[in-house]
Amino acid sequence: MTDDTVLTVKDVSVTLDNQPVLQNVSFMLKQGEAFAVIGPNGAGKTVLFRALLGLLPHTGLVEWRRDVKIGYVPQRFSVDRSAPISAMEFFLLQSAHFWRPNTAFTAQLDQELTLMGLDRRVLQKSLGELSGGETQRVLIASALLEKPSVLLLDEPTAAVDAGFEETVYALLHRVQTERGTALLLISHDLSVVYRYAQRVLCLNKCVVCQGPPVEALNPQALATLYGEASFYHHEH
Amino acid sequence: MHTVPHTSFWIALLVGIASGSVGPFILLRRMALVGDALSHVALPGIALALIYHLDPFYGVIVFLIAAAFLVFWLEGRSRVPPDAIVGLLFTASLAIGILMIPNADVVESLFGAFPTLTLPLLLAILLAAVVPSVLCFWFAKRFLFLIVSPDLAKVHGLGRGYDLALLLIFAMIVALGIKLVGTLLMGALTIIPASIAKNLAQGMRRYVILSAIFGGAISVAGAWIAESFRFLPGPAIVLLGVGLFVLSLPFARRGMA
Repeated sequence: MTDDTVLTVKDVSVTLDNQPVLQNVSFMLKQGEAFAVIGPNGAGKTVLFRALLGLLPHTGLVEWRRDVKIGYVPQRFSVDRSAPISAMEFFLLQSAHFWRPNTAFTAQLDQELTLMGLDRRVLQKSLGELSGGETQRVLIASALLEKPSVLLLDEPTAAVDAGFEETVYALLHRVQTERGTALLLISHDLSVVYRYAQRVLCLNKCVVCQGPPVEALNPQALATLYGEASFYHHEH
Repeated sequence: MHTVPHTSFWIALLVGIASGSVGPFILLRRMALVGDALSHVALPGIALALIYHLDPFYGVIVFLIAAAFLVFWLEGRSRVPPDAIVGLLFTASLAIGILMIPNADVVESLFGAFPTLTLPLLLAILLAAVVPSVLCFWFAKRFLFLIVSPDLAKVHGLGRGYDLALLLIFAMIVALGIKLVGTLLMGALTIIPASIAKNLAQGMRRYVILSAIFGGAISVAGAWIAESFRFLPGPAIVLLGVGLFVLSLPFARRGMA
């Protein structure tokens, strides 16, 4: 592993209920780069993330750099909207002082809120009252609290209202350039991949293509990835 | 047997506070009915203790802790639908318990009674009620993390051990309340204070504190009503709580039904 490699993945396979859902996936993530994983529904993108995070049993090698700090941004909260949990309390889950927050923590929180373009008033809202865009930015801000060297994002704009997608990606791009944080993200939006990702991995249970988007995402690779039918369909 | 005055009120207060402390986590994890299931398992335990001339409490605690491990094990197996198995197993234990318990003790086992206890046993039960309440506040952050985002919590190193801890705390509290409230109604006591507090509280920290206060207040007031009107304590406590829940409904925040 060279010095600027944050993550090495070699021949990773996952089997669930005796069905192979991921086969021999290999790639490397470099420090400070934006790396996108794309693929159709059921291609194993989320499974790959869960394997990387150690949440799923897998074979093959997943090696994080020793001093790495991983920030994980899930798609949404798992709790129902009626739960009386404030956004502040969600942030406090990462503080040593849940019942009585200290000033050092709130100062750092302010910093992350500013970076994400969030008003302090958002802290008083309950998790169920947050809009899709606010939820995503709260989740990212929370992941940033520990100053991670890598941010893993599972379709960061899946629950975001149209129009705000650009904002979320622009904010992520800022995190990447200002802090040198590597981004590993699942996306379904090819234009975002072209614009923000330095490298892309096309996944459909196994690796279909890999490399810089302009080279990797050629018509042939996309046809293999999404099936000929989708392109046939586009011509009508 | 020398009994302690106001025994029931001390038990009502501390068991009520404990029930209120664990309730929010149980409700948010959508485990509201697990309390009912757990408390039913207590019946065969009560029966065995009575057969061997022991205090029913010992039978209850052994059976409930075993049941907590069973629920934990079932939760970890994604392929079996745990709700059906939990439902079947626990109604079966209710049936077995009813067949085994002498007729004279059935009503008391199901709906609770004012306990008469010696001072050492009372103190043991009170201490046993304080410990799980304190643990609920101590572990609040971790329990909440696993509720809000289990994956994120696991990435932060919180494992299934905390799921088991919550179940064991819950089982402990149910076991302590069964003497006063009864096996059929104890499950309700663990969710009523939390349901009322959920309608009134903003934020998780206030929610847990408010729920604990309601738990203590409802149990003591219910026990007092029961004693004044010669009711069984279990139904009095539960009905008082349900009445307060109805009164709290208009305060539920809009869009948060």
